[in-house]
Formats: sequence, structure tokens, C-alpha cells
Amino acid sequence: MSVRPGLQAVVAGIHALPYSKDIGMTERRSGALAILGALEDAGLTVADVDGMTRYVWQPTTEMEMARILGVPNLRFFGEIDYGGGAGAPTVQLAAMAIELGLADVVVVWRSRNRSSGGRPWAGQMVAEGQDQFERPHGIVRPADGFAMIARVWMHRWGWRREDLGRVAIAVREHALKNPMAMMHGRPLTMEDYLAARMIAEPLCLFDNCLETDAALAMVLTSAERAADLETTPAYVTGYAMGSGPEVYAMTNYYGPELSPTPNAFVAPELWANTGLQAADIGVAQFYDAFTPQVPVAFQEFGFCADGEGAAYLVSGEAPPYNTSGGGLSEAYTHGFNLLVEGVRQVRGTSTDQVEGAGHVLVTSGNVVPTGAIVFSREPR
Amino acid sequence: MSEPTPLPPKPVPDPDTQPYWDAVKERRLVVQHCGGCGHWIWQPRPVCPRCHAADPEWTEVSGAGTVASWTVVHPPVLAVWQGVVPFTILLVELDVAPGVRMVGQLVDEDGERLQTAVGVEFGARLALVWRTDEAGQVLPAWRLAP
Repeated sequence: MSVRPGLQAVVAGIHALPYSKDIGMTERRSGALAILGALEDAGLTVADVDGMTRYVWQPTTEMEMARILGVPNLRFFGEIDYGGGAGAPTVQLAAMAIELGLADVVVVWRSRNRSSGGRPWAGQMVAEGQDQFERPHGIVRPADGFAMIARVWMHRWGWRREDLGRVAIAVREHALKNPMAMMHGRPLTMEDYLAARMIAEPLCLFDNCLETDAALAMVLTSAERAADLETTPAYVTGYAMGSGPEVYAMTNYYGPELSPTPNAFVAPELWANTGLQAADIGVAQFYDAFTPQVPVAFQEFGFCADGEGAAYLVSGEAPPYNTSGGGLSEAYTHGFNLLVEGVRQVRGTSTDQVEGAGHVLVTSGNVVPTGAIVFSREPR
Repeated sequence: MSEPTPLPPKPVPDPDTQPYWDAVKERRLVVQHCGGCGHWIWQPRPVCPRCHAADPEWTEVSGAGTVASWTVVHPPVLAVWQGVVPFTILLVELDVAPGVRMVGQLVDEDGERLQTAVGVEFGARLALVWRTDEAGQVLPAWRLAP
């Protein structure tokens, strides 16, 4: 990407409040505290902030958050839709604003009381838009829609439940090293996995992400601005978005083909934008609301051939992934914890640090319009 | 005061989908078929995504098809379904239009929801059966065809 080097976006600050089942405050308040924490981490103040981006599903708007914090003026603001697809694209939007010179310090955050606030699907009794053809039939929970796709993948590529179980266990192993993780201190065995109750067949309890209250934030600025800060910058090497054809939220199965996800369209864009390829990635944070998303992401980002994701994960060749425990075992935050962990890996501050990982790939939800981003130790 | 009877999610038509729901009331399954290029279109939309002719024609189909995927739903579920899980939701690929896939529950020949997925496998033959949900809403459903 042709951006003046000094303007290359970097992540300068990150912060996460402790994860819990009941955070005991509004998403407005936890979001504000997360942003203040990230600014402090960056060595910046509210007075420096001139941009904000958020998920559409974030209940507090940029306007309201800027007002709460006393931001003097937002020169840039915007939102990205589609639940867990919004993570990397929301950071991308912030990075683009910096690289275009439209803002100097952009805050991105995600606070969500997904545990104490109840299950969103339980209250959705009216089915409009795509939902009118799905929800009355029982496609109500995210797992219901996704299970249909998971079964197709398992059938097409011969994946067994054990293949998915290995993902759940690998991610849990990382969480055991992360004191912040919701599943810290809770080992998971294949026996546990295979004995777990079903949620939406073929998905069992441990194929599903957690229900967590969480609040996280990230502060982006330019490389030249970050040079004056104490922080270790995580350089934004590149980013990409994609939808693919005939795209639906969670029920991406009405199109001509059943197997490619929107990530299959993100990946070539990302590698073209970054000049990198899968082999350059030292550690990955793959969106993991559900275990099958991980082997498919390895395939679609070109780490292995189509259909070989499950075998690749046990080949010894795969880079470490979801090193904080991800959505399955750290916290489910629509993928924002994956982004924060990506920055930690660049800084060298992960609780399961991968040595020598110069480039970290972070992807977002792959059954909705989505994106991916690469954070690096060195400028591009 | 007793608790209100739990209801299933209610489909809310809009002007672009109303013809589908009007047909459902008459227990007819309709899919848009483009008069311009012959493309079968699902879910409904106001313009053919292939040739961009407006207002693709609503065309009645038999609903016969095959299993493209399925899931079996277990708790936690909406209150209305707490007593009836597990049940099976099918993704049905229609014979008339490969690539057109619809969602519906697995039922028996009388339209009663089944609590098993026995016999359901990729490519299994399905026949359209109409069922009436807990709120009186008529919905397409499918049974395994002999």
C-alpha cells in the first residue's frame, strides 16, 4: 500500500478489563474505562483523540463515547457491521483514517455484556429480512445457522468430531497459561469433549465460544507520532475486507457453492496488500466463535490446501494460533480479544509468547462479511 | 395471572417478500424465477441478481428436493420449543433449481415435528409437507420421501 512511511498506522495502546460472567456495569461505562486504559497504555490522553471507530453492534455510539470522555472534536468516526465480522475491519477503518491523514489518534473499542446481558437470540421474536425465512423454522441461535455449514465442511473433507475437539483443546491449552482467560485453570481433555452435551449437531458445548462480559480498547496512531511515545508500536502492515457473493449473516448457504467463506475473498486481497504470504506468519489469531472456523481459516488463508485444515493442525507445521485462548477459552468479544492478543504477540507480552513472530495475522468472523489484518514488529 | 404462552418467532413480510407469504397461506411454495434469464432466485429480492431484470416472477414449485445439510437442535432453546427438543432443521436443495436451498423442519407425513434425524443424510430425498406452528402460522416443512 502506498502510504507515506511516517503515516503508517500503528497500534500504540491496548487495554482489557478483567473478563467475567457479570462485569457489574453498563457497556457504556466498561467501554469508557477500557478506552482510558488503552490511552494510558499508549501514553496519550483524551485530548489527543480525534477519531473513533466502532462495531455497529456496539451499543454506545462514537458520539456518546466522545461526549462521556470529553473528546474535544472527532475528525473521523465510523462503524462496521456484521457482528464478529467487524473486528479487523473496524481497526482497518481506524488505520485508513490515520494513513489518509484524516485523524492522528483513533480509538477503537468493544464492550459487551454478552453474559449478564442475556442471550440476544432469546428475545428476538420477530423475524424480518433474511430471518423471516430462517428463524420461524428454528434457526435462532448463531450455532443453529453455523451448524448447517459445519456439517457440510465435515462431510466434504471427512472431518471427525475429534478433529474439532483438537481445536478446542489446543485453544484451551493457551488459556491455561493466561490468568485473564475465563477458562484459566479448567483443563479440557478429548474425553471431556466427546462426552459434552450437544448444542446444535454436529456442534457440542466445547465447539461453541464462551458467553462473557468484556470490555477492550485499542488506540491507533501514526508511526511518526508513535516514535515520540514510550510504547512498543505494533505496525499495521496491511488489511483487507471481503464479502464474497450471495452473502448472508451466519447462514451463508443459499449461494451457488456451499464451501468458501468470505475469508476466501479476504485472503488474496490481504496477501496482495501486505506483500506477505501464509509462510510469513509466525502466529495467528483466527476467529473462533466455533471450532470448525479455525481449520477452514488455515485453508482459506493458504496455510494448507483446501480440505486439509484438520490434518494440517496436527502436522506440526501450523503456527500457534489463538494464543490467549481465543473466543473459545479466553473470552468471546466478537473477536476483539484476538486483535488485542495480536498486538501483545508483536510486543512480546503474551502469556504464551511465540518467539520470533514478526508478523501476526488476525482474522474476523468467517460466516459474515469480514476482514483480516496483519500486525508486525517492523514498519513495512 | 398465568405466564403468557410462549410463541415461536413470527415471520414479518415486507413488500418484497409478501407474495411468498401470501402463497404460503394457500399452502403453495413459490420461488422467484427470472423471466429475463431463467435464473431461480432465493432468498427473494426485487431484481434478478444475474440479469438485473426487475420483479422476477413468483413461480410455484413442488418443493421436492434433497438434503443439503441439517442440524439437530438441543437446549438451550426458546421457551416455545423447550418441550419438543431435539428437533431437526433441514437445508433443502430444490430439484427445480439446484443451488436454491430452503430451511425447514423435519416432519412426518402429517406435518408433525419429528424428534429424530434417523434417515437424514446428504442427498436423501425430501417431499414438501405443510405444518402449522404453535402460533397458527403455516410454514413449509419436509419429510423423508420413500
